Amino acid sequence: MDLASFVYLGVTFGLFVIFVLIVIRTYNKKNKDKGEVAKYNMLDDD
Amino acid sequence: MEKQNYNYAIVRSFVIWSLIWGLVAVLVGVIVSFQMVEPDLNFPPYLTFGRLRPIHTNAGIYGWGVGVIFATFLYIVQRLCKTPLWSDKLAKFQLYFFNATIIASAVTLLLGYTTSKEYHEMEWPIDVMIVILWVAFGLNIIMTILKRKDEQMYISLWYMMASIVGVAILFLVNAAAEPVSLFKSYSAYAGTNDANVHWWFGHNAVAMALTAPPLAMFYYFLPKSTGVPIYSHRLSIIAFWSLIFMYLWTGAHHLLWTPVPDWIQTLAMGFSVMLIAPSWGSVFNGYLSMGGQWHQMRENYLVKFLILGITFYGLQTLQGPMQAIRTFSAFIHYTDWVPAHIHMGTMGWVSMISFASIYFMIPRIWDREIYSIPLANLQFWLILVGQLIWSISLWVAGVLQAGMWNAMNSDGSLTYTFMETMVEMYPYWWARAFGGVIYLVGLIIFIYNIYMTVKKGEPTAVTTATAEGRA
Repeated sequence: MDLASFVYLGVTFGLFVIFVLIVIRTYNKKNKDKGEVAKYNMLDDD
Repeated sequence: MEKQNYNYAIVRSFVIWSLIWGLVAVLVGVIVSFQMVEPDLNFPPYLTFGRLRPIHTNAGIYGWGVGVIFATFLYIVQRLCKTPLWSDKLAKFQLYFFNATIIASAVTLLLGYTTSKEYHEMEWPIDVMIVILWVAFGLNIIMTILKRKDEQMYISLWYMMASIVGVAILFLVNAAAEPVSLFKSYSAYAGTNDANVHWWFGHNAVAMALTAPPLAMFYYFLPKSTGVPIYSHRLSIIAFWSLIFMYLWTGAHHLLWTPVPDWIQTLAMGFSVMLIAPSWGSVFNGYLSMGGQWHQMRENYLVKFLILGITFYGLQTLQGPMQAIRTFSAFIHYTDWVPAHIHMGTMGWVSMISFASIYFMIPRIWDREIYSIPLANLQFWLILVGQLIWSISLWVAGVLQAGMWNAMNSDGSLTYTFMETMVEMYPYWWARAFGGVIYLVGLIIFIYNIYMTVKKGEPTAVTTATAEGRA
């Protein structure tokens, strides 16, 4: 494997880590109410 | 609640123009479908299949599709952010420039000026116009989002921003070219690199122009139509981010079995299959949002459009990944199966959601009740039946075509000549044209209903979303 392959894999893995962090943060119990509040607020825009 | 001075005039204008371009797109589509079965209907040099086909696709995607995106985004962003547009003047400029760009595109394509890149046929001066148009649009939306009243952003706003940024990146990279005259340029890339960049753009234009925006509309207009919130906002967020992370790798599945490096094809195939997860995340979120509300499929015509739309999205996003698998692609690629696939997406998924979105907005932006809900129901069935007739007939045609192309005699020679396979297509092409006429009638009824609503509709009595679509 050359340097370009390592960079490519590194970027892919880095993106995967970011995605996992987003999932963890979104489904963290502490953020449950905060994560759902927007769906109620949007009904109240009339 | 504090009353806001929302700019609905610009939304009204974009609705009207998107309908005009939508009618052009479908009308030209029907004409070219008849040209396929009656070659005498080609009138060279301007009115031939080769000139009209890109007008059909570009009017559909950029006139109708993007026109509805402009209308709905400019409506939704004001409502969700509870604030007027950042700049009304910029929005007005966007309206005029949008129509100028579409007209310039149609004229140059009719005259035969083309880059020959599918879905990016327009030559470089029009590319410059598109960039100016998109910057004006994107700037207005993003600046309006920045001055929103609620800190938490609803999922529709996420999809809107992704669409704005995504289209900008895709278009700029694919548009890189060296102009040699006013109407001729050569791509900055060569050979397989050009093909790879082009289909990276081509497929992700589907993502950022024909998937993210309808999802933004669906997530906004479904709860507003049913009166109950979506099932899970957190699920919608996860589906959003997984879609964003996965989609941009999939373009090379258009280039399976080509000289593009094998690993790129495999990567595109793998990510295409994984893409089922985020797509169906939104589909199930939509279905679960209907918990206890399924009776509205009977009572509320808006819900019918929206749920059938998301159902076509689910079917589309299962069929697409299957087509991206090498063995299946080897069988159906280049056959009539493929246009059936894209039409289920554009006319089943995107247009169903667009019709519902326009029906929802009309009473609010014109202060008129919809003229005729029975006509809306009739339109629903016409476009559903029309679309199914041409999609199913072309799927059958595609399988037949592939089978005939692959048939071999015991000595290794081909069983059928190419012309023999073409002749076999005629009944299916007639069915496509017939389905197109039905769809066109449905669209004309839609436009008539909107026209009569504006001209003769009763002033709006109900302002709550819940009762909006009750039939």
